[in-house]
Amino acid sequence: MSDGLEFLTVEPASDPVARREIVDLLASCGLDYEKQIEFFVTARQEGRLVACAGFEKGIIKDVAICQTLRGSAISLRLVSEVTYLAHSQGYQILFVYTEPHNADFFLGCGFYPLVEVPGQTALLENTPVGIKNYCASLAHYKVEADKIGCVVANANPFTLGHLYLITEAAKSCDWLHLFIVKEDASLFSYHDRFMLAKEMTKDIPNLTLHGGSKYMVSRATFPAYFFKDKGMVGQCRTAVDLLLFRKYIAPALGVTHRFVGTEPFCDTTRKYNNDMKFWLQEPSSIAHSIEVVELERTKRSGIAVSASEVRRLLAGGNFEKIKEFVPKPTFDLIMNKYATSV
Amino acid sequence: MQIIQEALAGTLESSDLFVRVSPSEGPLELILNSEVQHQFGDQIRKVAQETFAKLGVSEGATVIIEDKGALDCVIEARLEAALLRAAGDKSVEWETLS
Repeated sequence: MSDGLEFLTVEPASDPVARREIVDLLASCGLDYEKQIEFFVTARQEGRLVACAGFEKGIIKDVAICQTLRGSAISLRLVSEVTYLAHSQGYQILFVYTEPHNADFFLGCGFYPLVEVPGQTALLENTPVGIKNYCASLAHYKVEADKIGCVVANANPFTLGHLYLITEAAKSCDWLHLFIVKEDASLFSYHDRFMLAKEMTKDIPNLTLHGGSKYMVSRATFPAYFFKDKGMVGQCRTAVDLLLFRKYIAPALGVTHRFVGTEPFCDTTRKYNNDMKFWLQEPSSIAHSIEVVELERTKRSGIAVSASEVRRLLAGGNFEKIKEFVPKPTFDLIMNKYATSV
Repeated sequence: MQIIQEALAGTLESSDLFVRVSPSEGPLELILNSEVQHQFGDQIRKVAQETFAKLGVSEGATVIIEDKGALDCVIEARLEAALLRAAGDKSVEWETLS
């Protein structure tokens, strides 16, 4: 190339020299280096690092281009290179978080807007049909009725608390859509979590069980849920996920109510519940508001039943106590898979 | 020709185009986003349809084109490459393609 640019993929964990340069370049652009990023596509000119773009499990992060080269074609090559890198690792759909005023940069690189938290962050994906096709697939399960409820649960693992919430929600609605978070970043695998939910809800007649997706409580939409010490700052930690739900998923299924249990233990989940009331109910032009119904957690022996409590008991090997909090299939699974490893 | 996997071809650089082919159910879907859409959108679609016909692709795929003002011959070449990759064809005789 006549511009003398050399592109190279580096793994910062095993290349401290390159990592140092990346950290410096990011700092000069006002960005923090995120150490969990596995790969960086780097561009060098006359040996000097002039641009980089990080890639971590389907999400592009830490994109920086040195001042003098901004507005040049380097950005398009950089994004092309990242796309091929992602493709080689099996990631087709890529997400990027950016400040809203930088979104235009990505719109020119084959990205399309999903949601924007005004003044804070925008989430984009690199396909014009990703969310559209997903919603079209959901729409097959749409039930026409007045009161359509939705529960989104990680169910890590499925407890009597989930059973209570889902049963009560189903009773108060014409139809209930239950989603199990798909991201495999929890103690219990997605497969196990889904199968337990299926087993436990099979007798509820007005319920559809859905697998989760990358558009709902996923690494892409809600990184702070899985990496509780990190993530974006302030309000926008949960806003992106909730706005996606309100703008795309709820309309596809005609959801009018979203049900959650009160959260006594986990700060992240508690914040998510509180933010839910704001982002789903606040009047907005982007989509109809969705009523948030918070149900008091069911208790056993005076303690609120929650999955985080079960995991805490599991870590302590307190199986007798767990038995009080979970239905039999969950308990059997715990005894089978986890009792020996504790 | 049957599309069995996701495939890419091209770049986002000026005078090139980026092609993404993915397997899907149902009819062939072409999504075109071009910087010269107003002036050349129809022509680009025509080149794309001719390329689909030549390779015998009529269903089971979504083709997304991000065009940055590529010439017809480039569009054809990038599309062919992406479709052949998406068909998992490793025995392509590139010389016979024209």
